[in-house]
Amino acid sequence: MRALRAAWLAATLGAGGAAGCVERVSAPGQCPEFCPSGSIQIVDTVLATNIERDSAFRGYAFAHRAAAMYLADVPGAVDSRGILATAALTDPVTLPGDTNPDPILGSDSLKLAFTITRRDTAAHNLLLTFYRLPFGLDSTTTFADLAGPFGGAPLRTVNLDSLLAKVARDTSGNLIGVDSATGDAVTVDTTNRRLRVTVKFDSAQAPYVAADSGRLGFGIRVGADVPTSLGIATRASGILSAGVTWYVRVDSTTAADTTLVHEVFPGGITLDSYVFDPPPAPLDSTLAVGGVPSARSLLRVTLPRAIRDSAQIVRATLVVIPAVAWQGAPTDSFVVEAHTVLADFGAKSPIAVDVTRTDTALIRMGAKDTVRIEVTNLVQFWVSDTLAPTALMLRPRNEAGSPAEVRFYPSAAAASRPSLRLTYARRFPFGRP
Amino acid sequence: MQAVRRTGGRAVGVLEAVRRSGGRAVGTIVLAAVLVTASPPDRLAAQDSQFGIRGLGMPGRFESVRARSVGGALAPFDGMSPLAEAALGDLGRLTATAMGGTSYRDAELGSTTTSLRTTRFPLLGFAEPVFRRLTLSVSYSTYLDKSWNVTIRDSMLLRGTMQPYADELSSDGGVDDLRIAAGSRVSSHLALGAAVHLLSGSTRLTAIRRFDPVGADSVYQPVSQRDEVRYTGLGFSGSALIDFGPGLRLAAFARSDNRLRAWVGDVLAAETDLPITLGGGIRIAPSPSVRLAASISRRGWAKAVAGSFNTLSWSAGAELGGGPTPIRFGVRGGQLPFGPGTSAPTEVGVAAGTGRAFSAGRAVLDIGIERLQRKGGGLDERVWTFLVGLTVRP
Repeated sequence: MRALRAAWLAATLGAGGAAGCVERVSAPGQCPEFCPSGSIQIVDTVLATNIERDSAFRGYAFAHRAAAMYLADVPGAVDSRGILATAALTDPVTLPGDTNPDPILGSDSLKLAFTITRRDTAAHNLLLTFYRLPFGLDSTTTFADLAGPFGGAPLRTVNLDSLLAKVARDTSGNLIGVDSATGDAVTVDTTNRRLRVTVKFDSAQAPYVAADSGRLGFGIRVGADVPTSLGIATRASGILSAGVTWYVRVDSTTAADTTLVHEVFPGGITLDSYVFDPPPAPLDSTLAVGGVPSARSLLRVTLPRAIRDSAQIVRATLVVIPAVAWQGAPTDSFVVEAHTVLADFGAKSPIAVDVTRTDTALIRMGAKDTVRIEVTNLVQFWVSDTLAPTALMLRPRNEAGSPAEVRFYPSAAAASRPSLRLTYARRFPFGRP
Repeated sequence: MQAVRRTGGRAVGVLEAVRRSGGRAVGTIVLAAVLVTASPPDRLAAQDSQFGIRGLGMPGRFESVRARSVGGALAPFDGMSPLAEAALGDLGRLTATAMGGTSYRDAELGSTTTSLRTTRFPLLGFAEPVFRRLTLSVSYSTYLDKSWNVTIRDSMLLRGTMQPYADELSSDGGVDDLRIAAGSRVSSHLALGAAVHLLSGSTRLTAIRRFDPVGADSVYQPVSQRDEVRYTGLGFSGSALIDFGPGLRLAAFARSDNRLRAWVGDVLAAETDLPITLGGGIRIAPSPSVRLAASISRRGWAKAVAGSFNTLSWSAGAELGGGPTPIRFGVRGGQLPFGPGTSAPTEVGVAAGTGRAFSAGRAVLDIGIERLQRKGGGLDERVWTFLVGLTVRP
């Protein structure tokens, strides 16, 4: 009897244990014999006429607000030059241990430091040429305004390649190159691929003019064996921007050795911008993107209700055809960004800048090939939020970072109008046998 | 652990009964009850099959473990099998039953064999005599099992390029049959029964497509769609048991289900005709310890959806032993309603099992094992199913 009960217990546990096992129900399907009658239907279509009421607007970002000064020497395309204005020095100054203000008698020298964020490493004999400009520079200064000063003799010319050839690792491990003859120096930041350049000007090149409170204007041109361009960080960049250091002589009555004291005064920069030629063309019926001041184009999309209400977007591509290709240095790149518009207020439409609602495409210089921007994220956002405006804004990456501008055909150009290519999945026929 | 928590309350209550009775046998029953009720969330679903993917699903069996262990032959005569209500008239006392089963299935299609495993709890029933000749019953059983998961590799031409993808289509759930039945022993030779069947249930459906990356980029975003489909339907059934002397009993049963409505949200997605079932059985008991039975049934599935078939199923089996531990065995065969091709898939199987009565027959633990083979459209399915059932008559 006891053995029988034990056998029963074992049988019960065995059956119960088998019944309590996890499931494995996934099987490879052989269609259509052993597959569900419904399947995921993918549709690929071109919405050729659903982009309309498109417009271009200019004036979103200016050269003096750009993250980098754009210097370029591309004959026939663009000539862009950096301009800097230094802040005034306090004169007279009160030296340490003294109670009486002492006047600045003149300068010994001035060091201008700046950070090159981007350059053409393939261009040899990269020359930076410095010019003396009037100190009254401002954001309205144009290329033509400075034709005279830039046409004069330069203050200095620095061969960046020669300076880089002197780079060696110092005792702290930094890569520094110093030209002892000129006092110029370069520090290489291999992590961020930047160069911190210091250029020395003597008292004749950077005189202290008391009437100007020491304010100076500098112009910088770039040149090389081939057309080239580079970028110099500005105050808007968030990284180490340009600055000056004055070495001046002060008339001191408290000094024990002499009445002349050599003092170091760091000076600020009040303007870092660039001017360029040719100036931007006025807007026309095309969809302009880029330029300085920067232009953006607003494209309104009429998304069919059937797609917006029940389709799932698999891929969406905005197709635009350049009417005017952009021009610049061979190594320049032009990235156009497509942003979701949060509210359609025309030119003042706020745009989403997060990566989930922004898509980009790289456009080659001079190319007039069709540009395809993958805007899957944007259209998915429209489908998920049916109250969101179905409009997108095209703008360049690093607005006003260069005068480059591309112009696309608008919807008014029937043969070349923008279009949206959509690949989407229809609603699965759930519930049908 | 989740299952233990879920059944914890019930287990404590039964443990009190164990303490009172103090029997090891009752302890075994408690253990079995815990095992039976320790279940995944999709309980009360039935076995599934590849043959149920294309169509309405895999029809459930209205059989208790006892009936299924004899190939289903005893189902028309078994009060706890929700097939023929007339058998309720012979229960005589409050009875509750539940069963669970795990199927190990090898599906061979072409040269590919896939091993699958599912656990289901296809039956829960209560019956209570309310008058001297009338017994009422409420039972819950699987009408259609719609649980499956299919993965498909294929490619399609997209934007001028063949784009490979993998689809995963799955359905989890089914249609359950809530039966409210009455059975009466009208005379010593005749028992009658009738029932209303409320069909309800739902399935969670998922369709996912993942495109292969193009280089390092996932150019095409995955498609993922989910929904829940709710089912409703209504059916009626009636049955009779006729005794010709002490050892011979005949059964006849009929059932008509109207339409199965599939709702997605508040939208009627599909409406499907359900079959009329006709069947009968014979039971011969030459001695109190021997019961031989056979049954046959026909279900008119052909009108349900295109490509479905009417089915004819048969079974025969025996239950030997009049004591607390009978031996059962049987065979079954027939057709399946859904499958590819122009002829219905077929099914044959053998089953065996036994039972154990405890506490003077107040509790019965049944176990069974079933071996099935299904064929059709190039698919060959072989299934082992282990069954556990618990019947309590307090």
